[in-house]
Amino acid sequence: MSKQGTPRVAQASSLRPGRGAQAGSLRYTDRAALEKTWAHAPGLLGWLSETDHKKIGLRYIITALCFFTIAGIEAALMRLQLSRPENTLLNPDLYNQIFTMHGTTMMFLFAVPVMEGMAIYFVPLMVGTRNVAFPKLNAFGYFIYLAGGIFLYTMFVLHAGPDAGWFAYVPLSGPQFDPGKRADTWAQMITFTEISALSVAIEISVTAFKQRAVGMSLNRIPLFVWSMIVISFMIIFAMPAVMLDSGFLCLDREVSTHFFNRSEGGDPIFYQHMFWFFGHPEVYIIFIPALGYVSSILTVFTRRKIFGYPVMVASLVFTAFMAFGLWVHHMFATGLPQLGQSFFTAASMMIAIPTGAQIFNWIVTIWTGRLTIRTPVLYVLGWFAVFIIGGLSGIILASVPLDVQVHDTYFVVAHFHYVLIGGALFPLFGAFYFWFPKWTGRMYGEKLGQLSFWLLLIGFNLTFFPMHILGLEGMPRRVYTYQQGLGWGPLNATASIGAGIIALSVLTTVINFFVNARSGAFAGANPWNADTLEWSVSSPPPPYNYVYPPVVSGPNALWDAAPDQPYVVGLRTDKREVLVTQVLDAQPSHREELPGHSLAPFLLAIATTIGLAGSIFFAWWFPIGLGLVGLVMIYWFWPRKEDVIDHLVEEQREILREEPAV
Amino acid sequence: MTARVIDVSELPEGTTDSRALIWWGNLGMMVIEGTMFAMAIATYLYLRTVNIDWPPSTVQPPVLFWPTLDLAILIVSVAPVLWADLAAKREEKTPVLIGLPAAVLAGLVILFCRYRILTNLGYKWSDHAYGSVIWVIFGLHLMHVIAATCECGLVAFYCAVWPVTKKKYLDVRCTAVYWYFVVITWLPFYFIVYIVPWMQRKGPS
Repeated sequence: MSKQGTPRVAQASSLRPGRGAQAGSLRYTDRAALEKTWAHAPGLLGWLSETDHKKIGLRYIITALCFFTIAGIEAALMRLQLSRPENTLLNPDLYNQIFTMHGTTMMFLFAVPVMEGMAIYFVPLMVGTRNVAFPKLNAFGYFIYLAGGIFLYTMFVLHAGPDAGWFAYVPLSGPQFDPGKRADTWAQMITFTEISALSVAIEISVTAFKQRAVGMSLNRIPLFVWSMIVISFMIIFAMPAVMLDSGFLCLDREVSTHFFNRSEGGDPIFYQHMFWFFGHPEVYIIFIPALGYVSSILTVFTRRKIFGYPVMVASLVFTAFMAFGLWVHHMFATGLPQLGQSFFTAASMMIAIPTGAQIFNWIVTIWTGRLTIRTPVLYVLGWFAVFIIGGLSGIILASVPLDVQVHDTYFVVAHFHYVLIGGALFPLFGAFYFWFPKWTGRMYGEKLGQLSFWLLLIGFNLTFFPMHILGLEGMPRRVYTYQQGLGWGPLNATASIGAGIIALSVLTTVINFFVNARSGAFAGANPWNADTLEWSVSSPPPPYNYVYPPVVSGPNALWDAAPDQPYVVGLRTDKREVLVTQVLDAQPSHREELPGHSLAPFLLAIATTIGLAGSIFFAWWFPIGLGLVGLVMIYWFWPRKEDVIDHLVEEQREILREEPAV
Repeated sequence: MTARVIDVSELPEGTTDSRALIWWGNLGMMVIEGTMFAMAIATYLYLRTVNIDWPPSTVQPPVLFWPTLDLAILIVSVAPVLWADLAAKREEKTPVLIGLPAAVLAGLVILFCRYRILTNLGYKWSDHAYGSVIWVIFGLHLMHVIAATCECGLVAFYCAVWPVTKKKYLDVRCTAVYWYFVVITWLPFYFIVYIVPWMQRKGPS
């Protein structure tokens, strides 16, 4: 099981070009030709027209980390403000904006995009193809996400940052109580990020279903890829709800519709239903990829297959379905019918079942494997502890009487930071350490990595555990300060010190990565002797990923490969061609050409931004934007000269071939 | 054979059927938009449960002439599009060059019908929540009609001016599928906007 992957590729690349060719006129895979066909374009225009999934994926990840840093600074400001009673560092208005920006940025500009970035980078590599199914759409998704982030922060700097919380409940965010442009900024930023997420969902699901390596039938897909498939489907069904909801909010504010206006037949509670119908699945969209990272990391560091693969996949799918059936537990305090409350309590508790099944499977995997402790593993173990605490407080919150008691207190803040930081950020950082060698070709510093983990674990618990107690003592969330006599000072001060330690932990990770990306030890293709396909190509992978697309004969592709594992030949090298396979059993279906560089995605993002950002100031910008989008679309689909020439040549050949017969 | 390879060079380069990547991508987009439409219907149904007066008593039951003509044209327009679709599968050019422009024509007539309907609706989006949701349903679907009409026109233009490659035939097929989607999604909306008010008509006031 050790190094089967690496030699296989070496063997493949030493293959003489043209070997295996039966039909002489066809050109066969050849590294030099692939280098030329898949080359990155130089310069700024090249950067703007790039469609390589690895470049775009890294852009997503780096941009998301920038937003993570900004949102982290906002969190630090809040902690400074709350570190002692009656502090005056931030005024109430700025505090409202800061906590809204913190939540909005973390959810929409960091957590979801960073998971998408990981999917974009690794799904094509793990399924053994050369690019995502729709490279131009992929590039567009990134630009529109970036535009949304820039838009939000531009408005924030212009003193129009949203200030009604990250879910912007009406009527607080409605036209009556939130004049100005603040809530519009929030609502429109949603549209930007959701367009981006939906684009990613489409291309990841199609890539994972149609472009898998020959032999990678559904029961051999890596759990990482399964988790990304599951979140893609969740995005497809959840995001339209919030786009419509924030759209309604915009319409109510801009053109006086009455969706949420009780006096004209609307209903503010409906806003919450629509929001949480998206918002609850959103939590799982952030959390399920983390399950994929945990499975990847544990497989490699316990040196065994994940125990209970079918149960793991079924749990992911079951969690996704359940996630759509418990949104109302966010709304227990709105006075819903008791039967509804009981139903959603039961549903919320049921979601512990699939998660529990997975956790027990991982425990068995660790128990029966040989666990090596490295930084990624530490992060996974930390995740176990922290996430289980968050899960337990979740079960507590699912009970209506308790929920009503601690609603809108710091208990809730503690709970969701335990599940989000614990559930997603720990595995994400573990994943960064795990795949750092693949990205850079070099190893990270192990000691500094382990230090960053311990700092995060200590800092995190120091920050958020006291919040449970503060919440039970009655401290409401989203207050900019509290009085001296309430006795909340010491616990708040502890939390603020913890926040400092978290910042230190992130800083050590950043330093570790920056330094070792240049001067770390060389990693080689597969430093961990890992099992998934991405480890069979060089680090960082070449633009075309695979000289010869791999063939898979087991769920742990590299470990299950025979010494003379077959591979695929016969894809054209003068075009960006990929092999399309069948959905269920991944048998070869046909070849398809993917588009190369194009400026169209960037232009489309600009046109969309003009329409969306303009429309919150003047409604007619929206149709103007649509018109511009139409113009860019004409350019996007313009027939390429090469295609037409290719077609004519092919036609000519057909005629020549038929002539003798005539 | 000495080298254990799977040679795919004999497999077709691209297809015009439902195995193609873009066919699946198109399907995904329709699922997203379909979810959006379903949410719009959910909005209508939800608001209906919280209002006793629904549709508001000030709203007259709609006149059915233009809407029904609009619906009839939508349904009939499927025929030329289907013709072009099936021809594109066989990579045949002429039906594409007739079917798609016919769809564009149908689209324009539908837009005219919608213009007539909206100007005679008798209430605005800002009058009450019922008006808001009905106008949004119209707006959402109208954007799709415009998009589908433009798409048909654009693809027909490409096919008329340049030699039609396999990729373009595939585009024709995706455009056609999208057109069916636009037609099918209007059916529940027609029911909600035009039939329900008649079903719920209160006695003469």
